[in-house]
Amino acid sequence: MKPLPPTLRTKKRYILAGIEPSGAGADQKDLYYAITNAVTTLFGDVRAAAISPAVISSGPDYVIVRCTRGGEQDLRIALSTVTVSGDVRIVLRPRATAGTLHALRRRLPQERPAEPDQPQEVHFGGRLYDARRYQGQKVDVIEKGIKRQELLFLTQDDLEEL
Amino acid sequence: MTVADTCVHPYPAGDSSLRRMTFEARELGFDTIVVPDGTPLISSGVRVIPAALIAEESVRAVSGQIKKRENGLSLVMVNAGENGFNRAVLSLKGVHVLRNLHLTRKQSFNHICARLAADRGVAVDLDLYPVIHATGRTRQRVLVRFGELIRIYSRYRFPLTLSSNARSVLDLRSVEEITLLCSLFGMEEDDVQAALSTVGDLLNPPGPVRVVA
Repeated sequence: MKPLPPTLRTKKRYILAGIEPSGAGADQKDLYYAITNAVTTLFGDVRAAAISPAVISSGPDYVIVRCTRGGEQDLRIALSTVTVSGDVRIVLRPRATAGTLHALRRRLPQERPAEPDQPQEVHFGGRLYDARRYQGQKVDVIEKGIKRQELLFLTQDDLEEL
Repeated sequence: MTVADTCVHPYPAGDSSLRRMTFEARELGFDTIVVPDGTPLISSGVRVIPAALIAEESVRAVSGQIKKRENGLSLVMVNAGENGFNRAVLSLKGVHVLRNLHLTRKQSFNHICARLAADRGVAVDLDLYPVIHATGRTRQRVLVRFGELIRIYSRYRFPLTLSSNARSVLDLRSVEEITLLCSLFGMEEDDVQAALSTVGDLLNPPGPVRVVA
């Protein structure tokens, strides 16, 4: 089948968004559902169809989303309203918009984010937590237990003060 | 110029420590955050302004709370109520911000309140938490309410503030994201910038030049 000439193809835009907390384990399919749900609840079915969001690729700390040209601003707004992917609490932070995937991939961080160190046990507020330290000051601690584990976002200084 | 998030709730009210909040706020483009019942400090280059949140139903009780909690360093923020209550609160000395207007009835903040707020330099807070987290009819109501407030604002130009009411670093939004979210209810980019910088002026209102020596 002869492909459509470029002038007749639908123009696309690609948005790179960071995922926080890094390495939250957000599944690509769950991300797609979370993003389309956010677009639909905010702008309705008609506008969502016009925007046509699609997740192109994702990593532990980024996702690339495609939309039709003219829908990128609305999609960026919708990305700001994504709070959950699957069962995981996340936030998507739009970083860059480009007309081609090639241009956007150049904007991807070249260095992989430092993997968190092995979890260490810490006491905070009288409870026992597993602490994951990231590059810099950030430390995420998750309560040890089997249900309703509390996740806290701290810094190295907070733990040293204990 | 100050770029402030007018209300965040660090640990123990939320799940993120104050240091982590300031760390993330700086990365997102803020230089000031307002923390209820906090202490004034600078952390990670971000200024922390304490706030006294007052949620009372009578003006007398609000007045009593202001006398008790006002110390010149804290931002006094009062939860809005009916129209008469709001007018009385806007006239009280020491009130800096009227908040939670999206939870009140449509006529609770009219042109008289707007003029009063503009004259007395009391800011109206727009809470972006329900815009981000709510869905359906709840969010629609908030967007309509904020749209009405922006229409009144464009006429009377009373001070506005913007708050995320974040209880987690995951609830914080960058300045750019806030600008985009505010476009949902018709707020222009210049107005967003002005609203983000309002907090700096509330504690130190510009006055006439005085000869001191």
